[in-house]
Amino acid sequence: MSLALAVMIVLIVLVIAALAVFLIATIVQLVKINRGLAAVISSVGEIAAKTAPVNGVLDAINGTLITGRNLLEGLFLKKAGDDAGGLVESVFPGEGAKFQQRVGRGGPVHNIGPTYPRGAAILASLLGTPPPAAEAAAPPPAHGTPEGRIRLSPRSPSGGVATAPPPAPAPPPAVAAPPAADAPPPTPGRITLRSRAAPMISAQPASSPAQPGPGASGATEDASVPGRASARGSRPWER
Amino acid sequence: MAALWIMNIVLLAVAPVLVILLAGVLKSAKSIVPRVDAIAGVAAAASKDLDAVVVLLTTQNYISQVVGSLANYGGSLDAALPDA
Repeated sequence: MSLALAVMIVLIVLVIAALAVFLIATIVQLVKINRGLAAVISSVGEIAAKTAPVNGVLDAINGTLITGRNLLEGLFLKKAGDDAGGLVESVFPGEGAKFQQRVGRGGPVHNIGPTYPRGAAILASLLGTPPPAAEAAAPPPAHGTPEGRIRLSPRSPSGGVATAPPPAPAPPPAVAAPPAADAPPPTPGRITLRSRAAPMISAQPASSPAQPGPGASGATEDASVPGRASARGSRPWER
Repeated sequence: MAALWIMNIVLLAVAPVLVILLAGVLKSAKSIVPRVDAIAGVAAAASKDLDAVVVLLTTQNYISQVVGSLANYGGSLDAALPDA
């Protein structure tokens, strides 16, 4: 055997040995990867199984919520009319235009502001208390509606009017106040949309005693604040 | 004889290249293993976190009840408040 042939054989053996060592090590690592991926696949399978009903449940929840939203928006449009967008804008600035667009109404959106005189008048009539003093002192142009109601919405974008139910008597300039009223509230004659969860009506105390409207005694149960008619007292679940 | 020596030289040149390439493959394979183990751990934790998905059914039931109560409340408001 020549020297060249012997060297070649040695070199070939070395190459084969290197191939074997590295390939075996690579196979070992690939086996580990295979085991790890098997664990991953089992966990991913559990994730897929657990999240499978989520789409249906969320779609059902969204459908229910959309139904509720449409119901409330329809009721809101029915009751507030053209003031709806402005009321939304006053409570959630920037949302009035979106609301108008969503309900399919056009026109500009005018911010009603922190007070809504028409709502105050309606609430006062429902509670049987006199309307707010500000409305009584400077009544806006009133128009009789077919139902015999009075609209009190001078800041309405439609020039609109608030309605007051028939049981409420026409307010005299001097607003009737509860007998215990001896100090004017901070903001007489206003109903706020933001500050309190329960609507509160403030009535300015009259200079001359007057008889409160029907049901006023039941509505003015909040004796801690004189001259304030509160709807809270007539709600048994809040006691 | 000269051809054998030429082949020996070629083998000597090829062997280090082969070792370098195989070492690279092995290094890459070794680097995959801890990442797969980490993914397996995260997947197991995510699967455990999704155990609370079942509560969505309760949430769906509650939302249905709330919207139903809301509808009743809206009906009362519709009767109590005058239309615009």
